[in-house]
Amino acid sequence: MSVDTKRHAAVVNRVDPLEPVPVLVGRPDDRELNQTLFAPVWAKTRKGWLVLFALALALTGLLFTAIGYTFAVGIGAWGNNIPVAWAYGIVNFVWWIGIGHAGTLISAILLLFQQKWRTSINRFAEAMTLFAVIQALLFPLIHLGRPWFAFWLFPYPSTLGVWPNFKSPLLWDVFAVSTYFTASLLFWYVGLLPDLAALRDSSKSHAKRVVYGIFSLGWRGSARHWRHYRIAYLLLAGLCTPLVLSVHTIVSFDFAVSQLPGWHTTIFPPYFVAGAIFSGFAMVLTLIIPARKAFGFEHVITEKHLENMAKVLLATGLMVAYGYLSEHFIAWYSGNKYEQFVFWNRANGPYAPVYLLMLFCNVLVPQIFWSGRARRSIWVLWIASILVNVGMWCERFVIIVTSLHRDFLPSSWAIFKPTVVDWSILIGTIGFFGLLFLLFLRFVPSVSASEVKELRRELEHEAAPPHPVERAAR
Amino acid sequence: MATYVLAQFQDEHALCEAARRLRELGHTDLDAHSPVPLHGIDEALGLRKSAVPLIALVGGVLGASGGYLMQFWMNALDYPINVANRPLHGPPSNIPITFESGVLISVLFIVFGLFALCGFPRPYHPAFDAPGFESATVDALWLSVRTDRTRAEGITHELERLGGTKVSTVPEDER
Repeated sequence: MSVDTKRHAAVVNRVDPLEPVPVLVGRPDDRELNQTLFAPVWAKTRKGWLVLFALALALTGLLFTAIGYTFAVGIGAWGNNIPVAWAYGIVNFVWWIGIGHAGTLISAILLLFQQKWRTSINRFAEAMTLFAVIQALLFPLIHLGRPWFAFWLFPYPSTLGVWPNFKSPLLWDVFAVSTYFTASLLFWYVGLLPDLAALRDSSKSHAKRVVYGIFSLGWRGSARHWRHYRIAYLLLAGLCTPLVLSVHTIVSFDFAVSQLPGWHTTIFPPYFVAGAIFSGFAMVLTLIIPARKAFGFEHVITEKHLENMAKVLLATGLMVAYGYLSEHFIAWYSGNKYEQFVFWNRANGPYAPVYLLMLFCNVLVPQIFWSGRARRSIWVLWIASILVNVGMWCERFVIIVTSLHRDFLPSSWAIFKPTVVDWSILIGTIGFFGLLFLLFLRFVPSVSASEVKELRRELEHEAAPPHPVERAAR
Repeated sequence: MATYVLAQFQDEHALCEAARRLRELGHTDLDAHSPVPLHGIDEALGLRKSAVPLIALVGGVLGASGGYLMQFWMNALDYPINVANRPLHGPPSNIPITFESGVLISVLFIVFGLFALCGFPRPYHPAFDAPGFESATVDALWLSVRTDRTRAEGITHELERLGGTKVSTVPEDER
């Protein structure tokens, strides 16, 4: 062994005291990475997957039955009333679209900040974004009452000669969410191309080769393509970053631009964005913890990733808590009795249990992540992530229903009670989301092999920078 | 008739070196294939900067200005509606859709511009016929030269001399 190779080996095996858990365990070579990361795609369908798939399919059936029933008899099938004209339809919409935001944050914002730990979870998180946005997109459609006229929302030259009113935040929402879905889908697909090509090139059967061949569009790792691809991917990330912030900002305008106490507040846009990232990271954890175990991806999705996500939960949880604090303070400080009543009513009115559950899940639960042991405990992480999602759903319920149900005139107060159809649609979307996610896990590599290969090279380069003489020769 | 000569290389330095050498010999239609983007390959192959940023800018400007003009024309000129006595042309309320349409059109330009620059979709390429070329998306580096059939033999020898393995020649598709 020469002196140089010894030096190299010593540097490679060095453990960084500040980062005891690496983002990639070991140094698997490219072929090994392909084998392990594509294994779930090539493996035979597993029993566990089939059971989950059947369950998700049943819930999806429930969803579309409930939607069909709603279309047949009208919105009266839901518990909505006047004054609570917006209820589960919008609660679920905001909840799902918020969940989607973590995917874009991980794939775009963390890419721009060159965070290495995003590499192995970005594909996963982006898929989650897409499927969550699909659930979210259902709600504006089905809550219309006459959903077959949904196309009236788009500016098309109709025989009526009339155009949409562009001063309405509801229309901004249409543009924001449809742009978000399109951009997320294309960003995800462009990121998939090299892996689809690798799947094509390692497929055993002709049929699979043809199918992956079609979807990979002819990608062959050409340097002439990489040069366009890299900059295109970076630009897409650059555009998705402000886009994701704009989407939940615009969703919050649906409320903030109105005159209703409890909605009419300037903290809403940042508070909604923080809440969206908070719930989205929780959903990534909920999904990734069982998936990494089932597929044996512990060496690429390491404790480091889980711990970082727990830190994001803690940080965004604190931002959400600040949002609550600010809302209550401003209500008191404004001296406006209607504004003050809304917040008194949230804590003491008929929906107080939901409010308390929200505070428990969103403010108290994330505080456990101050402890390093909790951040590294799989079970604590998983249970906390589910509680956060419950909490964030409660938050949207509190914002929408408690603000509406007791407005200015006590004579018009009413109680909102969700019906079976309301519950079926909420549970059904969870099933439909799961269905899409299971299909994704089965047919697409859930960890980007090409990006992990690049990450490995970067890590090797960092551990042992090229010898000065060698570098000069390049 | 055009022909592709392909060779596999061990590491990126050998590949870049071989590309430089072949360019010195006057072969310009070169390409490299690798599972991850390689450092220094653009210079070695003599590739110019990508046009994607310009395409993105054009898309963004067209989208944003188109989005603004659309709102102005529809709400203030073509069919003015007085909603709660707001001004017919209210620039602040046009900002969200202007931004969204700018992003949307820019994203569409980037993605479809990328496909156009790469010549996608093209599920079949003559290089796929080279034995062992499947490794290009998995773990191996390949250099390909598109050339006249008469010069293929010379390039084969040159590639072997430069350290290329699995050197093979495939004709350009004539089907």
